[in-house]
Amino acid sequence: MQGGSSGIGYGLKYQARCISDVKADTDHTSFLTGTLSLREENEVHLIRLSSGGTELICEGLFSHPNEIWDLASCPFDQRIFSTVFSTGSLFDIDLPFYGLKMETGLIVFFAGEGESYGAAIWQIPELYGQLNSPQLERIASLDAHTRKINCVLWWPSGRHDKLISIDDENLFLWTLDCSKKTAQVQSKQTSGMLHYLSGGAWDPHDINAVATTCESSVQFWDLRTMKKTNAVERAHIRNANYDMKNNHILVTAEDESGIHIWDLRKPKSPVKELPGHTHWTWAVTCNPEYDGLILSAGTDSSVNLWLAPTSAEEDATSESIVESPAQQAGPLLNSYSDYEDSVYGLAWSSREPWTFASLSYDGRVVVESVKPFLSRK
Amino acid sequence: METDDVPLDDKAKRMRDLLSSFYAPDPSSTENAPSNPGTLDAINTTSFDADQYMNLLIQKSNLEALLQRHVEMAAEIKNIDTDLQMLVYENYNKFISATDAIKRMKTNIVGMEANMEQLLDKIMSVQSKSDGVNTSLFEKRERVEKLHRTRNLLRKVQFIYDLPARLEKCIEAEAYVDAVKFYTGAMPIFKAYGDSSFHDCKQASEEAIAVIVKNLQGKLFSDSESIQSRAEAAVLLKQLDFPVDSLQVKLLEKLEQSLGDLQLKTNDIENASMESNDPKQGKVSDSVHITAHEGSVRGFAEAISAYRVIFPESEEQLIKLVQDVVVKNFETTEQYVKGRISSANLLCVLRTIWTDVLLMDEVLSEAVLPVFSLEAAQIALKQHVASSFNYLLQDISDALLRVNVSSKEAAEEHPLQVALEASKKAVLQGSMDVLLDFRQLLDDDLQLLVQLRDFIIDWVQEGFQDFFRALYDRFLLLSGRNSSSRQDQGLTGAHGEKVLAGLVLVLAQLSVFIEQTVIPRITEEIAASFSGGGARGCENGPAFVPGVICRIFRSAGERLLHHYINMRTQKVSTLLRKRFTTPNWVKHKEPREVHMFVDLFLQELKESASEVKQILPQGLARKHRRSDSNGSTASSRSNQLRDDKMTRSNTQRARSQLLETHLAKLFKQKVEIFTKVEYTQESVVTTTVKLCLKSLQEFVRLQTFNRSGFQQIQLDIQFLRTPLKETVEDEAAVDFLLDEVIVAASERCLDPIPLEPPILDRLIQAKLAKWKEQNLISP
Repeated sequence: MQGGSSGIGYGLKYQARCISDVKADTDHTSFLTGTLSLREENEVHLIRLSSGGTELICEGLFSHPNEIWDLASCPFDQRIFSTVFSTGSLFDIDLPFYGLKMETGLIVFFAGEGESYGAAIWQIPELYGQLNSPQLERIASLDAHTRKINCVLWWPSGRHDKLISIDDENLFLWTLDCSKKTAQVQSKQTSGMLHYLSGGAWDPHDINAVATTCESSVQFWDLRTMKKTNAVERAHIRNANYDMKNNHILVTAEDESGIHIWDLRKPKSPVKELPGHTHWTWAVTCNPEYDGLILSAGTDSSVNLWLAPTSAEEDATSESIVESPAQQAGPLLNSYSDYEDSVYGLAWSSREPWTFASLSYDGRVVVESVKPFLSRK
Repeated sequence: METDDVPLDDKAKRMRDLLSSFYAPDPSSTENAPSNPGTLDAINTTSFDADQYMNLLIQKSNLEALLQRHVEMAAEIKNIDTDLQMLVYENYNKFISATDAIKRMKTNIVGMEANMEQLLDKIMSVQSKSDGVNTSLFEKRERVEKLHRTRNLLRKVQFIYDLPARLEKCIEAEAYVDAVKFYTGAMPIFKAYGDSSFHDCKQASEEAIAVIVKNLQGKLFSDSESIQSRAEAAVLLKQLDFPVDSLQVKLLEKLEQSLGDLQLKTNDIENASMESNDPKQGKVSDSVHITAHEGSVRGFAEAISAYRVIFPESEEQLIKLVQDVVVKNFETTEQYVKGRISSANLLCVLRTIWTDVLLMDEVLSEAVLPVFSLEAAQIALKQHVASSFNYLLQDISDALLRVNVSSKEAAEEHPLQVALEASKKAVLQGSMDVLLDFRQLLDDDLQLLVQLRDFIIDWVQEGFQDFFRALYDRFLLLSGRNSSSRQDQGLTGAHGEKVLAGLVLVLAQLSVFIEQTVIPRITEEIAASFSGGGARGCENGPAFVPGVICRIFRSAGERLLHHYINMRTQKVSTLLRKRFTTPNWVKHKEPREVHMFVDLFLQELKESASEVKQILPQGLARKHRRSDSNGSTASSRSNQLRDDKMTRSNTQRARSQLLETHLAKLFKQKVEIFTKVEYTQESVVTTTVKLCLKSLQEFVRLQTFNRSGFQQIQLDIQFLRTPLKETVEDEAAVDFLLDEVIVAASERCLDPIPLEPPILDRLIQAKLAKWKEQNLISP
């Protein structure tokens, strides 16, 4: 690797928000990313880190009918992924374009809403490298939503035929059958009045536990009963992520007030607080392998790498109270600030857990290695 | 033979050895040399073996040596031969002289027997004569002895009969010592014959003794008697087998009672010293109390010393008693210290106690009262120091919390400024007062305090250290930012009410003030009058570490300032969130006027600016900026350019637009949006504005707009330029951010055609006029 901390770049054609690690690809370190362009033809890029680790290669380029707001790779099949997309307005749109969309038949139109949102499961065609302009194959569309869809969740720890999709008001549990290419709503729950859901995370340790974020709290659901089990009262949470290594640990990112680490057994107050970013902290993600290693991306055009082990926290609490002013600078390992715009997309590689990919709004993917900071541990 | 002795000394000695060995009782002892047949020396032993010797000799020696040996041996044999002859001769000689001696003895002993018999006769006659004398004198001596005994007895009887009278006399003369002596002398007789012959006598003397006992008791308890006589009385009573212990207990009770009085008096003094805070009460009553108290203590001390003389074994009880007094006094002092008192008052109390202690120590040094009270005083003083700091902390937070009250009333024009000044004063003046107060403790020459000097210095230093830590915690609590029970907008904090943003700003500025002014002052003051100490041990270093405190407050100041900005921007964020999530942007109607959220936004900024203006100093950079703002026409021209460019790109409607903005960014110097916040009005306001605009941009990016929606945003932002420029320091960054918002909106627009410049101008002018009008009315 040349230059250690300097990242490897890759440019998308348009602006983009979401990047996902292709977990099921055990042979290569690859990422999926989709563009967010209102007026142009959107694309999904399959990017692979070259074996030397010095280059990002575009392994596949697929056109996607609409701008992509959320993208998640299937954890057990590297060719399957999900997207959430919006189509813009029905009424202000040029007619031919509109007709094209009708043809694809994937889009769900919501009466009364100016914008329309959709979510779908896609499959990358086989032999895609040999085709000139390969088309994505739609496996299923998650078309039960009537509101603005926020995200689609896969269970992160392995093969599971269920999917979760979250819109402003509802939580849907889908049963996905890849071979039959169908997705059916298994159950649905409304979050209740005055709770506009904004996103969520699926507990990697418990197949039945899902956390959803809304304006004033994080809510926890049991998927068997579809009942609320717990809640953390907290305003303006942008993003939540479960710790892959430690059970009960959830990390949240908030607009103004940084990053909080919660022990879900003690939802009253956070276990730990990190200062976060100068502006909003947009995304936060825990390393799948190294304990307490957390990445956060912010709208101040930077990505911060934190070390905040929670397991040792219990023992060290008394100490940390005494030393708190001195230790304040401690958890921040590095700040990657070589971005031109806000960073919204962030993903650890599960194959090479010391590598992460970040995506800034100007469509630039940067893959970095955190190896130089691991040795400091 | 005698003549032989001198020349033949050596020879004679050998001879005598041989002789003595011959006559020696134990033949084995002659074998002084252990036999060793294996060597040539064995020739002179009993176990001598001639053959073996020969063999050995032949084996070991050559011919010459053998010859030599032969000659030697021949000489030796000759020698031994002569020795032998001499021995025989001498033996014989001695034998003859012995026979002579025996002959002479026989003749001398014959005449002795007759002399002996004569001596015996004489001794016998002496003995018989002495016996005769003895028997003749015996009778007379017997009589004399009998007469003498009778006389003694008679004298004793006489004494007994006289005893009552004698005792009476003694009572009259108050010669109790004699009386007791007499009585105890007569006691055995009364015991033996009291019931029979001397009955009356006994009764009479017992009566007299009862009187004596009564008198003695009276004497013992009467304070007017001299201690000496009282002690004597106690001793006499003891001799009379009177139960002294009960007396002792009684007397002790009396002492304890007087002690209770003493205790009450201490309270009185505290009351007095508290009252003496009132100028009306004056010091007269105080001093009166003190003298009265001193008198009673002196009396108590005397009583104790008397008691000690009277009952010498009672020390332990007394020590306990006295220590009790001191403990109780210090307990009340500690109680007293819990309240809010000045060191002068404490000093007053301590001085009183110390004089008491010294007085008592004089009479009862075994109680080690000074040491004892030193320990107690240590505790009391420590508490005093701690409570002083507690009250200081309380004062400061009170001063701060007044912001809440006063701003609710809203009567004052600059509530925050007032609060800041008040709290600044509370911190500085309060700390100085506390220091001055403690100085009094140090300057006093009271022995008690002099001994505790080092401790006091340490406590004061430690106290400050802890105080500032506590103050820091309190600041965090007040700002709602303490880590355990965290604030947030919607959440009600630990103290039930929403934290005022202004208060946070006051706290931030106060932290800076503490770091820059208070700590150096205190450090100076401590160095001047509280240096030394060191009772804590050198390895810990001085208790008060200004560096650490400064660091804490510097970081606290920064954190609080950021927190303030955060709170402000959060408010705006909620405003913006509402603005952008509620309307349906895709079906937005054509813009008619600038949206009212702009007003609200500016309102928030104004509020913040007014708070900031009260608290923070003006930045120096301001003037510089002013001169710079002459070029504002240029910047507006560049806006024009930008607009032109936008329209052009719209006509092209090409995807190259994104590329173009990228290119523009490349050529533009990267504007540092998030710079370090400084403690100036401009810096804080600018940072707030920047963060808000950035949030605005982010909110815009999350929406999709139709043409009218985009135009509305364009209008709003264009309007914002003018008022923002007036308030903000870093025009370039704000301009850049405003542009960014418009770019973001155009990127998220399906049909980004901007408003025609004339329409835009007209709408903005209308709004500006309205805004200015409002501004003229409101301030």
